[in-house]
Amino acid sequence: MSCVNSWCKYFSLALLLSMLSACGDLTDDLTPSSDDKRATVTAGTTGYMPGQLAADFTISTSTAASFQLSDNLSAGAAPADVVVLYFTMWCPICLAHSDHIYNVVMPQFAGRGTIVYALVDYVSGSVSASRASEQANGYAGSDFVTLVDDQRALMDQFNGAMGTVVVIDSDGTVLMNEDYRNGATLMNVLEQQLP
Amino acid sequence: MSTVFGFSASSWAASCCGGGSASSLVLPKFSQAMVDVSLDFESYDGFWKSDGNWTPDPAGSDLNQYRLNLGYAYRLAPRWQASVSLPYVWNKNQYASFSRDTNGLGDTKLSIWYEQFDKVACVWKVKKWQDLIPAVYWGGTLTLPTGTSQYDGVDDNFDITGLGMYRLDANVLFDKTVYPWNMSLSANYGKYLERPVNREYGTYVEPYDKQRGDRFNSTLSFGYTHFTEEMQSITGTIAYAYLQEDEARIDGVVDSTSGMQKRSASATLAWASEDRNWVTKLTWSHALDRDGWGKNFPTTDVVTLGVSHVLR
Repeated sequence: MSCVNSWCKYFSLALLLSMLSACGDLTDDLTPSSDDKRATVTAGTTGYMPGQLAADFTISTSTAASFQLSDNLSAGAAPADVVVLYFTMWCPICLAHSDHIYNVVMPQFAGRGTIVYALVDYVSGSVSASRASEQANGYAGSDFVTLVDDQRALMDQFNGAMGTVVVIDSDGTVLMNEDYRNGATLMNVLEQQLP
Repeated sequence: MSTVFGFSASSWAASCCGGGSASSLVLPKFSQAMVDVSLDFESYDGFWKSDGNWTPDPAGSDLNQYRLNLGYAYRLAPRWQASVSLPYVWNKNQYASFSRDTNGLGDTKLSIWYEQFDKVACVWKVKKWQDLIPAVYWGGTLTLPTGTSQYDGVDDNFDITGLGMYRLDANVLFDKTVYPWNMSLSANYGKYLERPVNREYGTYVEPYDKQRGDRFNSTLSFGYTHFTEEMQSITGTIAYAYLQEDEARIDGVVDSTSGMQKRSASATLAWASEDRNWVTKLTWSHALDRDGWGKNFPTTDVVTLGVSHVLR
């Protein structure tokens, strides 16, 4: 039995060490950094970082309409002061964020210019499925327009992830691209940008 | 989705008497060490919104997480024991338009326990009032963020295997067995440590400080043990668990979109050898997909298969 006991100890230790050694990013969270490591952005270049110009895109909505970013910029057919994109996978955190936008942000900035609020659905995979998700979660007929990112093109373009919020001004400049968190940054950006 | 919210507690395969139904990795009295290996199969089925209403996942989604948990407990002194548990996590997420399979180390837990009793608190018959005194364990657990979190160099949430936060838990466990019956109550109160964040899903952002809300977790369980003629034991246990996490703070400001709550029930069948040195356990944990049974959290089923070996 002592042989079994020793074997168990050594096996456990070996497994523990092999698991730990397999992790490249291990120290990132063990010793988190507060250093600002954002890359320097050249104004006027195209990209997803704040300060860069967002490339134009065309995508279908959950009602099978076409949504083109440039239509909502200053030279477009339906110009807005800002376009707000929120990347959702219809999860609890996503819905807590989009509910917060709907219940807090939209009323707070109602009447202050024109704002396009868009939910970017990157998981449903089709117009009909996206429409079903929108309806199941209570957003059908709301002030949100749901964009069907079935090819994850917007995810790639904006380097998005669950909960990412992107704000684009009327010139097409990205003002914000980060996790929604508690909505404070979004409200600050809107406060500064809107008339 | 499965990787976003943290992970269910594993069921551990021992108790103060050995072979029982404890919900924490604790050594039986007078044993020297224990190795515990378990495999969790967690299947996601919808979620509760922040108002408590249950909502299904998007059509065509199949979300699963598998965890291999390695636990080791060691006796430091007659009343003191320490343990370490380390999960390895596989995320398997299928949506209508894409699928993602990722894996990595989860968050490590280091625990220390103090036993507030000298003798095994399991009795066959209550002859005096002292026979009703339960085994009481007081403990502390440190969670180390060894998993991959959203603050690491990941593409998106599907790569996440940990929360990225240190947490300190204070634990208490009451366990009483009057054969063939057993009852246990465990409670944990955890406080996350604030940390700086300068990256989200691989993209560097303006640094800020984040602290998740305090976490409370409690489990109440009842068990019945049947002994075979060879004195092997088979224990059936049912349990009810409650989990709550308060709202997070970002740069000291409350994040009203965070916080969560979950209630679940579980059933366990454990087999222990006649010397109680080997315990095999099968647990099914279920969260009800009904309104009001949780908030801001996914509903899941977890099947756990575990084996532990006690070293005397």
